Amino acid sequence: MEKNKTRFRGIASGLTKNKRRNLLLSMIAIIALTVFLHFTEQGATVGSYEVRVLNLCAVYAVLALSMNLINGFTGQFSLGTAGFMAIGAYTTSLLIMPVSVKAKVFYLEPIVPWLENVHWEGNFGLFGALLVAGLITAVAAFIIGFPVLRLKGDYLAIATLGFSEIIRIVFTNTQSVTNGSTGIKSIPNTANIWWTFGVMAFFVVFMLRLMKTSYGRAFKCIRDDEVAAESMGISLFKHKMLSFVISGFMAGVGGGLMASVLGAITPLLFRFILAYDILLIVVLGGMGSITGSIVGAFLITTAKEWLRWLDAGFNIGPIKVPQIAGLRMVVFSALLMLVILFYRRGLFGNKEFSWDGMFRLIKNAPKRVAAWFKPKPKGGGAK
Amino acid sequence: MKKTLTLVMALLLTLALVLTGCGGNANGGATPEPVTPTDSGTDPAPVETGDDDVIKVGIFEPLTGANAAGGQMELEGIKVAHSLVGEVLGKKIVLVEMDNKSDDVEAVTAAERLVNSEKVDIVVGSWGSSVCIAAGDTFMNAKVPAIGTSCTNPLVTLDNPYYFRVCYLDDFQGTLLANFAKQEGYKTAAVITDVSDTYAIGLKKYFVDAFGAENIVAEAQFNKGDQDFTAQITSVMAANPEVIFAPSGYAEAGLMMKQAADLGYNILFLGADTWETEVMFEVGGVATENCRFTTFFDADAAPTPESTQFLTAYEAMFGGKPKGAVTALGYDAYMVAIAAIEKAGTTDGEALQKALTELDVTGVTGRCVFDENGDAVKNQAIIKTVQDGGFKYISTVVVD
Repeated sequence: MEKNKTRFRGIASGLTKNKRRNLLLSMIAIIALTVFLHFTEQGATVGSYEVRVLNLCAVYAVLALSMNLINGFTGQFSLGTAGFMAIGAYTTSLLIMPVSVKAKVFYLEPIVPWLENVHWEGNFGLFGALLVAGLITAVAAFIIGFPVLRLKGDYLAIATLGFSEIIRIVFTNTQSVTNGSTGIKSIPNTANIWWTFGVMAFFVVFMLRLMKTSYGRAFKCIRDDEVAAESMGISLFKHKMLSFVISGFMAGVGGGLMASVLGAITPLLFRFILAYDILLIVVLGGMGSITGSIVGAFLITTAKEWLRWLDAGFNIGPIKVPQIAGLRMVVFSALLMLVILFYRRGLFGNKEFSWDGMFRLIKNAPKRVAAWFKPKPKGGGAK
Repeated sequence: MKKTLTLVMALLLTLALVLTGCGGNANGGATPEPVTPTDSGTDPAPVETGDDDVIKVGIFEPLTGANAAGGQMELEGIKVAHSLVGEVLGKKIVLVEMDNKSDDVEAVTAAERLVNSEKVDIVVGSWGSSVCIAAGDTFMNAKVPAIGTSCTNPLVTLDNPYYFRVCYLDDFQGTLLANFAKQEGYKTAAVITDVSDTYAIGLKKYFVDAFGAENIVAEAQFNKGDQDFTAQITSVMAANPEVIFAPSGYAEAGLMMKQAADLGYNILFLGADTWETEVMFEVGGVATENCRFTTFFDADAAPTPESTQFLTAYEAMFGGKPKGAVTALGYDAYMVAIAAIEKAGTTDGEALQKALTELDVTGVTGRCVFDENGDAVKNQAIIKTVQDGGFKYISTVVVD
């Protein structure tokens, strides 16, 4: 280390030993992830089924971050994510679909002329489409925000849920723009693993930076105590609106990504059930934790797939369990309840991951495990 | 106390992990042979056979979620068919059940798992179209043919040479209903459509085309889940139609007929195969006796060799009669899949696809030939009504 000190004079000389270690570990982690993504994209590490699941994990992480910003960080119980995703998904799909495919898919009623010949091709096309999707969704959030953000708590939840359903019903009825309930298929699968993980990484960094600004602190302040925040001179409505609009932007981009990953969408996909799925991720990961949203998204999405073996029938020693469809969902729900029983504020609470914290955990782990096996003090068993 | 519980939970989880490990290697989701008696008592290890020794048929159905009832009915049909034909090309056929949870997102991963992890040779399913549309590209890219059961949306087979289906489509059913109405002597009709249901929109289009747009005196719309149809009924009845065509779900249909009767209108309602659910007359009561609808199959229709075989096997396996026409579709889809494998003489995806396009088989729901889109060209439909709290067979319509 002493020798290296001279070489690192530029960036690392001012850092303490721990910080230097953390920087190094972070860099290794990022490089490892990039290498993994590179080989995964080439098809060298895992099969296309696993890639599909990883893509969904990353998309759900973006959506969970969006919901966490408004629910976990700003403390406004909003359930409008599904509706915002619908706007993003339809905008992206209509922009990136080839002209010939559009003509075929809109077979009941032709598509409106101003969308007929729009085709944004390839990666640049997807980038532009996602950006437009995010912006349109943000505008929608801004308009919806005016009436609903004057409400609080459960009332806000009901109002946002209502608007989300209104968006879905509108999309169901605009046959010549969204193809109505028939839905859209053959959306180009431009969003590969680089896209999903790239967008996720971008929003993670964005959220981390945002929470360090005065806006981020104001959000948390509003969450903790609105009256105190207002008396400190924080404009409640302005900050709630800002959080709602950013959250809408992220939900729109997430919805657009999901459309490109899935390749087909119908209005029914964006029922309020979808918002609950994302809320589940946010609550399990921890309201107000960026790490929690990411871990929650990966955990829940993979757990649902991993538990599929339960549906197929299996053996516990000599006992043969027959095929029971839906058994995995029962086990999944039971596992969720157990997690929430032991981690009442979600896996991460409102804490974030840090290398220091991880080393502390590893250092204290033996002690904790030992504590479990320690003979109980007298009378302890009666508790 | 809490610590003990934690420990127990941790142990259970570890156990679960170990078990999956075993399950993953030995069975790997390849379902432990439901119908072979030889395997049931013995060690599960022999299931570890190479891909060459068995033919895997993937079942892509909503076994849980909103459409679970439909998925389960089709699964019964597939199992009955499998009990009759459990072997093809001298190899045993293994069914691989995969639940798509009636959810588009889950459907894509389920499809991906079928073709890339389980490596099935051919897929049967699903009930409902949106899951098939979402999963279609996965099957096409993997060159694994899929035979849809009751997915009627045109987008399922559009631009997808690997998706076929044994059900008849909106155009056939809509046209048939329009012709039926004309034959019965009705001159004018009103249409009340569920706009949130693509199936209803499609039916309406083809019904109107066949009945003649000039004979449609009134139109009204509603959304799935609506409870009150008095406004729609009153507005279309103002134009004095002789019959109302109402493509919709079963619950809405029941409510609509009940409300029409309550308003004092005695008019015939026409509908399609979705109505064939007990809920329809439970909701609508006596008022539903004033309806006619089309469906794929009925146990009371004149027996054919195929339907007798199906009904006997069903009786032996589950007892009683099939609960819905889609059970017969599940049966037919499986039989078509096996016929295709037999014709192709291999399980190669491209050869199977080619075999399917040339196939001509007669199933329980009538003759089945695929057109250039992969849609079944059907020639037979059944008209039914409600009587004394049960469905009643009226006639079989064969179109040449």
